[in-house]
This record gives sequence, C-alpha cells and structure tokens, in this order.
Amino acid sequence: MGRLLLIWRLVAGDIKRRPVQAALLVLVIVTTTTTLTLGLALRKVTDSPFARTRAATRGPDVVAELTPPNGSQTRADADFASLRHAPGVTETSGPYPVASVRLTARGIDLPAQAEGRDTASAAIDQPALASGSWIRPGGAVIENGFATALGLHPGDEIRLNGHPFRVTGIAVSTAQCFYPVSRPGVIWLNRTDAERLASQRQPLGYVLNLRLADPNGAEALTSGPIGTAFFNEPDSQSLQTWLDIQHDDFRVIAVDQKALLIASSLLALIALASIAVVVGGRMAEQTRRVGLLKAVGATPRLVAVVLLAENLLLAIAAAAVGIAAGKLLAPLLTNPGAGLLGSPPAPPLPATAAAEVVAVAVAVAAAATIAPAVRGARASTISALNDPAHPPRRRGWVIALSARLPVPLLFALRLLARRPRRAALTAAGLTLAVAMIVASLALQYRIDVHNQAIGYDLSGGGVADRVSHLVYLLSAVLTVLAGVNAIFATWMTVIDARRPTALSRALGATPGQISTGLTTAQLIPALLAAFLGIPVGLALYQLAGGHLQEASPPVLWLAAVIPGTLIAVAALTAVPARIGATRSPAEVLRSD
Amino acid sequence: MEDRAPNPILSATGLRKEYGKGAALVRAVDDVGLAVRPGESVAIVGPSGCGKSTLLYLLGGLERPTAGAIELAGQPIHDIAESALARLRRRALGFVFQAFHLVDELTALENVELPALLAGASPRAARARARELLQQVDLEDRAEHLPSALSGGQCQRVAIARALANAPLLVLADEPTGNLDSAATTEVLRLFDQLRATGQTLITVTHDSRVAATADRLITMRDGAFVDETRLTGGTSRSLSQITGLGS
Repeated sequence: MGRLLLIWRLVAGDIKRRPVQAALLVLVIVTTTTTLTLGLALRKVTDSPFARTRAATRGPDVVAELTPPNGSQTRADADFASLRHAPGVTETSGPYPVASVRLTARGIDLPAQAEGRDTASAAIDQPALASGSWIRPGGAVIENGFATALGLHPGDEIRLNGHPFRVTGIAVSTAQCFYPVSRPGVIWLNRTDAERLASQRQPLGYVLNLRLADPNGAEALTSGPIGTAFFNEPDSQSLQTWLDIQHDDFRVIAVDQKALLIASSLLALIALASIAVVVGGRMAEQTRRVGLLKAVGATPRLVAVVLLAENLLLAIAAAAVGIAAGKLLAPLLTNPGAGLLGSPPAPPLPATAAAEVVAVAVAVAAAATIAPAVRGARASTISALNDPAHPPRRRGWVIALSARLPVPLLFALRLLARRPRRAALTAAGLTLAVAMIVASLALQYRIDVHNQAIGYDLSGGGVADRVSHLVYLLSAVLTVLAGVNAIFATWMTVIDARRPTALSRALGATPGQISTGLTTAQLIPALLAAFLGIPVGLALYQLAGGHLQEASPPVLWLAAVIPGTLIAVAALTAVPARIGATRSPAEVLRSD
Repeated sequence: MEDRAPNPILSATGLRKEYGKGAALVRAVDDVGLAVRPGESVAIVGPSGCGKSTLLYLLGGLERPTAGAIELAGQPIHDIAESALARLRRRALGFVFQAFHLVDELTALENVELPALLAGASPRAARARARELLQQVDLEDRAEHLPSALSGGQCQRVAIARALANAPLLVLADEPTGNLDSAATTEVLRLFDQLRATGQTLITVTHDSRVAATADRLITMRDGAFVDETRLTGGTSRSLSQITGLGS
C-alpha cells in the first residue's frame, strides 16, 4: 500500500511539475483515440449505406416497369401477372402509375417522373422521409437527390405539366437510383393526381415492386425464362434487381468503403507515430529524474514502474476522453446527405471496440515507454544525473556538408542529424497526410470530370457525395493529426536543442537564423513527405477503387501539393520555432 | 568606482538587473559602472550568487538590463535589436563558460570553426582558422576527437580556441576554471596569460584567486554591486608560476 502511495505521489508530482508535456501527450492520445473510435463507428455505418436505406424503406428486390398502350392498367396487370406468380416471389406492391411530366420550379423546366402512390404505407418501397410529410392530394414528395439539385424544400410550390403542387416532403428510396444517376428525377404524388397528369401523347406507365424469398436470387429471376419473357413484352420498359440499382448507385464513383478502411488504417498509423514522438520526448527529459530517484534510494524496478505508470495513466485517461468524443462526434459524420437515408441513430460502439481503442493507446504508450524506462532503471545513478538528455547522434557527412550551407540550413541539417528517428516519424506522418490529400484531389477531379460529362452538379449525389465528404473529412483529420505531430516534433526539437541553440546565439547566430533553422528542420522531412505522398496518394486512390486511367488529376494540382505542404508546415512550426529562438540564452547556459 | 579612461572597448553605466516583482524582487546587479580599455584584463570576484555571472551575461548582451547603458566598441548594445546584437556579438565577443558548452556531436575542430561559419566565413577559411587556433592551444593532435573523448582541461582549451575564432575585441570568461582540477587550471591560466600578452582584452568572472591574480584589475562584487577595485601589477610583472604557486 505504502509503495502504491509512493508511486502515485511520484506520478502525480511529475505530471504537476510538467503539465504542458502531460497535456500534449493527452491531446495526441485523445486525437488518436477519437479518430480510431470514429473509424470503427464509421466503418460500421458505411458498411452498407445502400443496405441501410433499403432496410428502412423496405426496398424491393426486383422492380418491373412497363408502358402499355393508352396507359391501360388492365393491360399492365396482365403483363405483370407472370412476375407476380413467379416462383420465389413472396410479396408485391403496385402496380403504381407513372406519368412523364414537365416540372417547372424556380425558373427551371425539367422532365420528371410522377409516381402515383397511396397515402397508406406500402409493404414494399415505402420512401423514407428526410424531411416534411408524406403525400396528400395536391402535394408532392420529391426524391432527395432531385430536391437537392433543384434546391426544393417542403412548402415550395412546383408545377407539373402546368398544374400547381405543394412540396410536402423530401424522401429517399432504393426502387431506383438517386438523381442524377437515374434521370429523370422522381416525384411521388397521390395516385389520382399522377393519373390526372397523363395525356394521350404521354400515357401512363406502371411500376411493380417484388419481394423474393431469397433476395440474392433476384438475378436468377430476371435472367430466367420468366424475366426474359417479361423483358421481351412490347410494353416492357425495364426489369431491375436491387443489385443493379445498388451497383448503379456506386458506379458514379468507385471509392467506397475500401477508401474508409484504408483511411482509418492510415489514421491509426499516423496516430501511433505521434504518440511515439510525444512519449519519446517525455522520456528523454526523464533521465535526470531517474538519477535523482535512484540517488535517494529508489530501486531500478521502482524507477521503471513509476515511468511506466505515469504514461499509462495518461494514456488510459486520454483514451477514455477520446472514446467519449468519438461517440459524440460520430452522429455528425454519419449523415449521408442526399440520395440515401439520412439521420441514422448514432452508431453503437460495442464494448469490444472501446476496449480495442484503449488497448491501442495503452500498447503504444507502453511500447514507447518501456525501453527508455528499463534503460533508465539500469543506468548508473551518476551517469543519469550527469546526462540530462539522450546523447545526440553524430553524422560526420551531414556536419561536413552543412558547413558549406547558409546558417539556417547548417543549423537545420545538424538538428535533423541529431535526432534522425524523430525526423523519420515526422516525415512518415506527413507522408500519410499528403497521400490522403492527394487521394482527395483525385476523387474531386473524378467528380468534376463526371459532372462535366453529364452536365449536372453532383452535389446531391448520394453515395458519391457521402464518400467524398467522408474522404475529405478523414483527410482533414489526418492533416490535423500530422499538424499536431509537426508542431510537437518542432517543440521537442526546441527543447532538445536548447543548449546548442543558446550556444549558437552566444556565438552570434541571430534569432531569425535560429528560428528559420528550426522551421527548416521540419521543412526537410516535409519536402520528402510531399514528394513521397503524391505517388502514395495516387496508389491509395487506385487501391481504393479509383480509376486513374479514366481521370488522372492534372499535374498542376499535384504539383501544388508540394508548396502547399511546405507552406502549411512552415506556418504550423513558426510559433514554436520562434519561441525556441527568442528564449534567453543566458538562462539556458547558466542552468547547465 | 567608474573608470573614465578614454575610448574604452566596453563601458557600462548605472547597470541594473532585477528579477521578480514586489516582495520577491531580487536585484542581481545593482547600479554597476565599468569601463574596460583595449588590452586590459579585468577579473571580477565575489562569493557565489553575488551577481557576477549575471553581470557578465549583461555585458555580453546575452541578457537585457533592467536599467542602465552598455556600449561595446562605441556602440550602445543595451537597447538594440536582437539581430543587430547577435551580429555585433559574433564579431566583437568571445565567450568561455564554466561548463565549456561544447557541442557534443561535433569534434574539437568542428566546435572551434562553428563561430566562423556562423559569421559567414568560407568552410575552407573557417577550417584553417580552427586548425591554427587548436595549434595555439596545443590540441592539434586532438582535433578530430569528440568532447566526450577529451579531458576537462582539454575541453576548456577547445572552448577558449572557439572564443577566439572570430578574433574578438573582448573575451568574456565565466568561471573558466570552475570545473577543472589543478593541472588543468594551470593549462588554462597559461593560455589566459598568453592572451593577455598578445593584447587580448579579457573580462573574467571567478572566485579562484589564482585566476584573479593574473588580471590587471581586480573588482570585488557583493550583493550585486562593486565594493572594491584593485589595480594589480602581478598580471604584467610576475610569472604565472609565481602567481599560481603551481609551477609552469
């Protein structure tokens, strides 16, 4: 008990003594665990946005559409009969009348499909409302992608073939692809209203939704004899399985869950690099404390336990905060926007996933702590007392090369050579962030090219929209994490190099030269990261299902990543570098 | 206490340095005035904590005074921009510290050439000058050694060579023998004696009477202020062995 109390006092004392370092470690672990939690939550949500929407709307397994002469429902019923009674069909809804109309609203005049529905909920394909209310006489519910593209909201007035209708709601469905993948856009009306819009020139069509005992057997039905016979009917318009519709939803852009999976893995990697940098930095400052503890009688084992306990305590506390933050933020990220169902409940995070997050935080903190803790415990008391920092490495060729360069570069290269592992971790973190940005650019370019090709803005493009937003968001999180990493690496360099920095100032280096040197020490790995990140990002995009051969982002876009990265890193590291450069040299030289 | 000799290399008037506020206010340097002529060697002695190191850092522009004025080579340095001060320091001042402050990962030669590189000298010229200085301090055979492979006395000799790299107007030494044993102290004193003989202006802060005895002028400091000043002849008339009693 007494020993536990002693460990607690030593741990709490050190955290209090160096609150900024402790706070930085907590910040990095919170960021890491938040993103890991989000990654786990998002992965679950994005496993199947289509499936989620399909389940919520009781989506059909097969959708059949035909247009009989003069819009005769009797003829339609006869043509649909073979499908209704096909083996494996368990339930149907419809046939629903469909009128081809002209929609005018907000100065826009577009073709649309007005589908007549009942006010009662359908057993199959009941569109799920994103906002507003379901149809009523004189009211219209607009498909979400279509409404987003036209900027329509509940309460707006539209005209269909010149007849006025009030928009009562916005809804999603998986009986057809979302607009503009499927065109013309879909509007649901009261059945009577839809029938009223048909004309001699544009007779009514009909839609029948089927449910099968085995949804995965839908393809067998449509390509089997009954499906082929229906398709060969002169009135037949289309016969689609839910798999066709899902494929069409995804075909707009090939970046899907794989992108998210890869991005989550990258997030985990960059986070690990950040934690290793932070814990490594803390441990470098602990050598003297180890000497002091041993000088007053602490055993090597106690020393190791104290060092380990301190970082693990911070890691567990930060992981708990990170999990809570991740759970809070997850609903904000799971709104898929137009096309598919929005506002799902917050994705549940099972206890095993939470345990995974805590385990990752603890494992990384322990891995980064254990070697220096054991080394510190084994070190002789005198050498620990005399050696306030891990001795820097000597790279003779770097020293010789840097002597030929301007002072800031001389300083930067020598700083990098002192701590090559830290520079490598910074470069690795930045490479991943740059790669993700490049993948985002490739995705954006693909969307732009597609928009130009079809002449529509895909801003309401359902899955494409959702995936691109998620990729951008993950890129932003990665960039923030890489930024925190770069700032911390600079700060660690400032602390680690305080003596050579102060000495250089005493020998006549200006604060400007020192701060430029400290920033340049981060820009060198950043430059490497920018060059490496471009091919890595393109490979990542291709790996995630992108098609570079169809639309490869312009060289200018990719080239802009290099100065962009350098400017961002210079801006992020300027403040810690400036603080390090303007610190009183007398204070440092005297304290040593 | 103020020396009014014409054209001093360094002069300070009404110099004050305070730390803290209110009840916790500490006046480390209190109304100090000093003028150092070219070629003069000044030793400042006093008990630990009397403010002598702080004074040295103020004179070298490593710390800003709370009040007072400092001129180096006729140029005020107490209120100039940090960058201008750094440039002035680079060509006019050389520092020798008690803890040597050599860069661990640089060899003796690389440590000595560092100030010249910072001052913009070509790598070749900086290297040549460093070799020449290491020869002067009798360490040419240790040029490629890292500080960890040198004795304390050798480290301090490297530090002295480094202080001379840009041929400064003034060398400021803070307890240069504080970390050295007797034999190493003698080596350093011999070097200081050589410096003085070549006309190098020198201010040394020390509590070692043997070091103080080599100076032309001895100033005693207590509680941040100068309390006594003695002009010595020993520095110019007696041999080093007589002063130190250690033999030369």
